[in-house]
Amino acid sequence: MRRLGNLLPGKLAKLAAAAVLAFVLMAAAAPLLAPHDPAATDLFRRLQPPGWMAEGDWAYPLGCDALGRDILSRIIYGARVSIFIGVVVVLIATAIGIAAGLAAGYLRGWVDRVVSGLIDILLGFPYLIFAVGLMAMMGPGVLNMVMALAYKEWVVPARVVRGETLAARETEYVEAARAMGASSTYIMAREVLPNILSPVIVVASVRIAQVIILEASLSFLGLGVQPPTASWGSMVADGRGYILDAWWVSTFPGLAILLLVLSINVASQAVRDAMDPRFHD
Amino acid sequence: MRPALLLQRLLHLVPVLLGVTVIVFLMMSLTPGDPAEIMLANQNATPEQVASLRHDMGLDRSLPVRFASFVGNALRGDFGQSLFHRRPVADVIAERLPATIELSAAALIFALLVAIPLGVVAAVHRGGILDRLATVGSLFGVSLPGFWFGILLLLAFAVNLRLLPVSGAIDFAHQPPTVTGFLTIDSLLSGRLDSLGNALAHLLLPAVTLGLPMAAILMRVTRASMLEVLRQDYITFAEAKGLSRARILALHALKNALLPTVTVAAIETGSLLGGNMVVETVFGWPGLGRLVVESIFVRNYPLVQAAVLLYAVTYVLVNFVADLLYTVLNPKVRM
Amino acid sequence: MRLKRVLIAAAAAAGLQMTPVHASELHIGFTLDPLTLDPANHRSRETESVLRTMYNGLVAHGPNMELVPELAESWKWIDPQTMEVKLRSGVKFHSGATMTADDVVYSFTRLLKPGAIGGKTSPRKGLLGPVTDVVKVDEHTVRFVLSAPWPVLPAMLTFQEVVNKDFTEKTGADGMATHEDGTGPYTMTQWRRGDSLVLQRFPGYFGGAPAIPSAGKACAERVIIKIIPENASRVAALLSGDVDIINELPAHDIRTVEANPNTRVAAVNGTRTFFVALNNNRPPFNDVRVRQAANHALNRKLIIDKLLNGRAVALNGVMSPAAFGFNAKLPEYAYDVKQARALLAAAGHPNGIDVTLDADGPQKDTAEAIASLLTQAGIRTKVAVGEGSQVRAKWANGGKREGDMWITSWGNGSLDPTDIFEPTLMTGGRGNSAGYSSKQVDTLLAEGGRETDTAKRAAFYEQAQSIVHADAPWIFLWLPQDLYGTSAKLTGWKPAASGWLNLRDACVH
Repeated sequence: MRRLGNLLPGKLAKLAAAAVLAFVLMAAAAPLLAPHDPAATDLFRRLQPPGWMAEGDWAYPLGCDALGRDILSRIIYGARVSIFIGVVVVLIATAIGIAAGLAAGYLRGWVDRVVSGLIDILLGFPYLIFAVGLMAMMGPGVLNMVMALAYKEWVVPARVVRGETLAARETEYVEAARAMGASSTYIMAREVLPNILSPVIVVASVRIAQVIILEASLSFLGLGVQPPTASWGSMVADGRGYILDAWWVSTFPGLAILLLVLSINVASQAVRDAMDPRFHD
Repeated sequence: MRPALLLQRLLHLVPVLLGVTVIVFLMMSLTPGDPAEIMLANQNATPEQVASLRHDMGLDRSLPVRFASFVGNALRGDFGQSLFHRRPVADVIAERLPATIELSAAALIFALLVAIPLGVVAAVHRGGILDRLATVGSLFGVSLPGFWFGILLLLAFAVNLRLLPVSGAIDFAHQPPTVTGFLTIDSLLSGRLDSLGNALAHLLLPAVTLGLPMAAILMRVTRASMLEVLRQDYITFAEAKGLSRARILALHALKNALLPTVTVAAIETGSLLGGNMVVETVFGWPGLGRLVVESIFVRNYPLVQAAVLLYAVTYVLVNFVADLLYTVLNPKVRM
Repeated sequence: MRLKRVLIAAAAAAGLQMTPVHASELHIGFTLDPLTLDPANHRSRETESVLRTMYNGLVAHGPNMELVPELAESWKWIDPQTMEVKLRSGVKFHSGATMTADDVVYSFTRLLKPGAIGGKTSPRKGLLGPVTDVVKVDEHTVRFVLSAPWPVLPAMLTFQEVVNKDFTEKTGADGMATHEDGTGPYTMTQWRRGDSLVLQRFPGYFGGAPAIPSAGKACAERVIIKIIPENASRVAALLSGDVDIINELPAHDIRTVEANPNTRVAAVNGTRTFFVALNNNRPPFNDVRVRQAANHALNRKLIIDKLLNGRAVALNGVMSPAAFGFNAKLPEYAYDVKQARALLAAAGHPNGIDVTLDADGPQKDTAEAIASLLTQAGIRTKVAVGEGSQVRAKWANGGKREGDMWITSWGNGSLDPTDIFEPTLMTGGRGNSAGYSSKQVDTLLAEGGRETDTAKRAAFYEQAQSIVHADAPWIFLWLPQDLYGTSAKLTGWKPAASGWLNLRDACVH
C-alpha cells in the first residue's frame, strides 16, 4: 500500500523541514534579525503600507500597524511566542501523558480507572471551548496559556501511550522481565517506554502544529499573551478593524501562522512515514 | 445491539457528564471577580447591597452546596440569571441557539460534500495527480487559521467583490416567517426561494470557514478507508464477477468506507463547536459563539458557564450516538 | 476580471443581492444588540440609544443638549426638595392607551422601589439620587419628592423612560424584556436576537418635544436596525449602501467614508471624558510634581491627530466644554519634555521613574501610544492590559488600588457636574479611582450640589476645576467626538451627544 508520504515529493518534505528550521532559527535569533524594536511605536508611521506600495518604505518591508510598529519585526518576535507555547505545551503534555499512560496501561486496576475516567471527561470538552473557559478564569498571559492548553493536551499522548503499553505488556520481553522479578517501575521505564517512544514522538510532532493554531485562536479572541508582546494571533485580531484600508496588518501575521503550521504538518507527515509504518494513512 | 450493552454504555455516560459538570462548575466558581459586584458595577451600591445580592445569588454558601444547587437547577433547565441581560440564562441562550446550530450543520454538510467525493477520487486514483492535489489541499485545510482565513474571505467576497453579505444571517427583505427558527428550513417551509438564496448567501462564507479544517480531515479518513475497503476480498470478487467499477465503488466500497468517516465526523464536531466562537465573531453571526465571547469580556459568568456546559454535553452526546451507530452498523464489531 | 464578472452574474442570477429597497425604509448598522427592551432594567448606553426610538422620557435633549420637556409639558421647583411636573396630554402608548399621571408614577416607583422588577431592584435607581417618591397630584401633574436638594434632577430625568402601567403589570418583568409599549415614534415589530430589530412608524405618535423643530410623525415608515459588531463590516455595509447610518465609525475610516461620493461622516462632541487616573495615594504619583510632570510629558495633540484623526477636544480638566459650569479659563499643561524632566528631578527622580499603565482591551492602542510618549520623558511606562471589569475592580473605590496609572473614562450624559465631578473627584466618590482628596474641592462640590441659583452654582464648579487642575490628580486627556457614517441619501438626521438615535426626522430618498 502506498503511503501518504510517498505522495508528497521528497523535495517538498525537505523544504518543509527547512522551513520549520528557519522559523525556529528566526525565533531564536529574533533580536539579531528584527530590523526594529517590535514594541517601538511611531505614530507618524501609523498604518504605513508595505515597502513596495506607493507610500511604503523599504525600511519597514511589510508595513506598520496602527501604532506604527514594524510588522516584520513583530512577526519575527511573534515566532518566539508561537513556537515556545507549541513546544512547551506539547513537552509538558507528553511528559504527563507518558507517565499517566504508562501507569494506566501497565498497572491497570484503579490507576487505569482514574486515568481513563479523567481522559473520558476531558475528551468531553471541545478543545477550544475548554481553553477559552480556562483562560477566561485565569486571565491572559503566556504561563496561563501554557497551563490552559496543557490541562487538556496531555490526554492525546496519554491515550496513545496507554494503548501501546497495553500491547507491550503482553510481549515476551516484558513477561521475561517480570519473571526475573523486575519492579514495575523498572519494567515501565526500561522495557516498555523505549518500545512505545516512536509513536509518541510522531504524535507530538503533529500536535505542535495544532497547539500553535489554538494559541493563535485564543490570542485572536483576546485571551492570549499580554501586549506589547507580539503574538501572531493577536496581530491578526488587531488588524481586523483596519482591513478596509490597511489589509497588510492582518494578512502577514496570518500568513506566518499558515506557513509555520503547514511546514510542521508536512514535515511531520514525512516523519511519521519514516518512523512508524503503523501510522500510514 | 443487546439492551444490556446499551444500558452499560448509558451508565458510562453518567460519570462522564458529572465530571464535565464538576469541571465547568469549578472553572467558573474559582474565577476571580464577584458576580454580585459585577452586577452592581457602576450603580453606587453599598457593601450591604452587594452582600444582600450575594446572598440572593447563593454566593455566600459553601462550594459543595452551591454545586448541588447548580446541578439541581441545571437539570430543571435553570442556569441562573444572565448578569447583563438581567434575564434567565436559558432564555438568552435559547434565542441564540438556532443560528449556531444552523451554521454548524451547514459547515458539517459542506465538509461532507467536499470530503467524501474528494476522498473517493483520491483513493481510486491513488498516487495520481488528483490524489496529490487532494493531499496537499487537505494539509492546507488543517493548517489554515480559521479566524484569518475568514477575514480574507470576507475582504475578498463581501467587501471587494460585493458578491456576498458582510454580516448577519439574513436581510430583512428576505426574512421568511418564523416557524422553526432555522432560516433555511423556514424558507423552504414557506416556499420562499428568495429567502433561501439570501440565507444561503449569508451562510456560505462562515460555513466554509468553519467546515474547511473538518473537510480536510474527513477527506483523509475517507481516502484511507476507501483504500482499505478496495483491498478487501469481496471487492476483488465483485470485480471478478464483472460488475462495473462505478457500481462497485458506489454500492460496496463507499458504503463500507463511510463508517469511519461518520465516526471521525462526530469526533470533529468538537472543532465545529469551538470554531463557532471564532467564526461567529468574524462574520457577525447572531449565534451563541459570539454571545459567549462577548460575555467573557463582560464577565457574564452564568452565561459562559451554561454555554460551556451545553457545548460539552452536546459533544459527549454526539460522540455517544456516533459510537452506538458504529457498533450497530459495523458488522465487524461483535455484539 | 472575467472571473469577477462571471461570479457577479451568477450571484445576480441566484438573486443573492437583490434587496428591494423600500422607499422610506431606513437601515441602520449598529454595534450592539440591546440587552433588553425594559427601559428600567439595564445600564447600557447602546440599549438606551435603541430604546429611545420606542420610549420617551419626561425630559429630552434639544439639538444643543439643552433640556427640553418631552412627555412633560413643564416643570417647576415648589421648594428645593419638591419638583412639580405638568404632563403633556393626549400622549398615546403604542397599544392605544393614553398616558396618564398613573403611568408616570408607576414608572418611577418601578425604578425606585427595591425589588420592584421581578424581585430585583432597577439598576437605574442610582441615577435618581435623593428622589424618594413620585406622587400624583392630578391626572396631569406629578411631584418628585427628594430627601435633599438636588438641582440636577431635570437633567437626570433624561435617563428615565415612561412605561404603560397596565401593560407592564400584565406583561411582567420577563415580558418587558422582550416586548414594548412605549410612546415613541417607532414601535417594534420584530427582534431577531443578535441580528436585527425592525421598527414600524407609530401613527399615533404625539410628535415629540415641541421645542425640537418640525415636531410631528416620524419620516421613515420602517427602520431596520442591523447589529453589526465588527467595525470593518459595519463600514463596509455603509460603503456598499446596505445601511444608511452606522454608529461608532472608527476614526481611521473617516478618509475612506469621505472619499466615497455616496457616504458622509457625521460627528458630534461626545460626553465622555477620557483621562489617566494617577494613583494619588502611592509613590511616585503621591507627589504633585510627578503628576504635573506626567501632564507635561504627554503630547496630547499628537495622539489626537494621529490616533483619533483630530476628532477630539483636548481637556484641561474633568468637564466637557458643553457642560454646565465648564471653566474655559483653565491653562494648558503644555507638551514640554524638559519641564517634565525638571519636575521629576525636583521630586527626587533625576533618573526618571518606572510605572505601569493599566488599560482594558479597547484602550490598548491608546495606552501603548501614551506609554511610549511618557517613556520618552523619563516616565518609563509599561502597559498592562486586563479585562474591563477586572481592571475596574482593581481601581474601584474600596479596591486595593495597587496600580500606578489607569486609562479610563467617565460618561456625562446629563452634562451636569454632579454626574461626573462628584463621582470621580470627591473624596470617596464611587469613580474616584485616583484616590484624590481635597477638602476644598469636597466643600465646593457639596455647595454646588445644593445651590439652586445657577450663576452661583457655576462659580462653585469653576473654582473646583481650577483646584483640580493645579493638583493634577489625572493626566488630563480629551473628549472624543462620537463618529457616525451616513449615506448621502439621508436627510434630517443629526447625531446627538447623548448617543440617542433620534430617528424621528431621519428620511431616506
